[in-house]
Amino acid sequence: MSEPNDMTCMELADVAAELALGVLTGRERAMAVAHLDDCDTCREDVRQFMATGEQLVELLPPAEPPAGFETRVLERLGLPVPVTQDAHSSPVSRRENNPRRRKSTRAAPPSRPGGTRPVGRMRRTLAAAAVGLAVIAAGLGGWRIGVGTSPSSATGPLTAASLLSVTQQSVGKVFVYSGTPSWLYMSVDDIESGQQAVTCQVIGTNGQVTTIGSFQLADGYGAWGSPDPENVGTLTGARLVSATGTVLATATFSH
Amino acid sequence: MVIVGALGDRLNDEALLAGLGAGDAELAVAFVRRFQRIAFGVALAVTSDPVTAEDIAQQAFEQAWRHASVYDSRRGSVRAWLTTITHNLAIDFVRARSALPMDPDDLPVLLAAMTDSPERVAVANDSAEELRRALGRLPSPQARAVAMSGIYGMTARQVASTEGIPLGTAKTRIRDGMQKLRAAFLPEGAGDE
Repeated sequence: MSEPNDMTCMELADVAAELALGVLTGRERAMAVAHLDDCDTCREDVRQFMATGEQLVELLPPAEPPAGFETRVLERLGLPVPVTQDAHSSPVSRRENNPRRRKSTRAAPPSRPGGTRPVGRMRRTLAAAAVGLAVIAAGLGGWRIGVGTSPSSATGPLTAASLLSVTQQSVGKVFVYSGTPSWLYMSVDDIESGQQAVTCQVIGTNGQVTTIGSFQLADGYGAWGSPDPENVGTLTGARLVSATGTVLATATFSH
Repeated sequence: MVIVGALGDRLNDEALLAGLGAGDAELAVAFVRRFQRIAFGVALAVTSDPVTAEDIAQQAFEQAWRHASVYDSRRGSVRAWLTTITHNLAIDFVRARSALPMDPDDLPVLLAAMTDSPERVAVANDSAEELRRALGRLPSPQARAVAMSGIYGMTARQVASTEGIPLGTAKTRIRDGMQKLRAAFLPEGAGDE
């Protein structure tokens, strides 16, 4: 039974745009939000207005920030200041200059949930675990890393390879980053395995297969990542394995 | 110090965001370089103050760094995500000020920039382009009301006060303007418009 203050769908339609733009206030807002709790149609209406409003903001013209902006952002995050060079970055120079590996007079960077700025081995391990939790959580949420690099290409510390099914069809992508910190991402874009838990395995130079984690596919889609996989620079491939041990797809890295 | 090469240029937005979230300096630099003009542009448009805009844009990158792991590509592009973060921060700032967030005389300039930007055309998708055109076709009173609410976060009451019109008229302009924009941006989902 509706209350006297309940908002009807027609009344909601009048304020849906204001609600979506975040400019509806007071009692009207409270009533509108209460209405959405029980009305899928109006909720979709508001969602569409929200998407429109977000795209409207994207029409704002870009502007060149003041000189030094980039440097100040990186300092704010506690990251090394960049020096532009045409050549690829050198892992050695980055390691030598990484503030995580040397004493720094810079103010402590802001903390973030589940993350720290590690210095020592123990802190680094803890941070890796935190990143692991983050990427696993992202994987459960279906966060998929898009593919912007060419298949099976080695790009400095980053290697990307297509994940090929047994019929040699591309069903996803694997990224392996051997920089600091190293990480591996596996994204499955379309595989005929529906809803199931799958396992990510990596293959070393001697053919040794190591299981590094599992994630859930949803309608054939899913993604998963791992920080600091062992011997990341010498991996020759990775593969996706079903819960029953069947190899669903394989990726081969060309270093 | 980190030396920046061309690696960042070859990676897509999602991969750069993953690198930023993992604390990779090289990819973080590439991420900032790719999006700094967008973030600063949004912050500057809303606040009209370069110093404040820089601080807001920096906060936006910090938020992206903190929350990179929860970014969901199914809900929008990295660009849209960062734009929304920046916009929300800017709106929070202008709302905390007692003065009106914008000068009404500046609206025509802003709307012209939003509806006629060659650079924007080069990067926007088809739906965004339709939205841009639809904004240009809106009657001026509706476009102004939509910009006041959608860009500056002004309530219908503030729009009414600024434009010197009744509250009901302000609400109607916001609603009608947004309905037309939605019909252009999401034609299949707004078939009743």
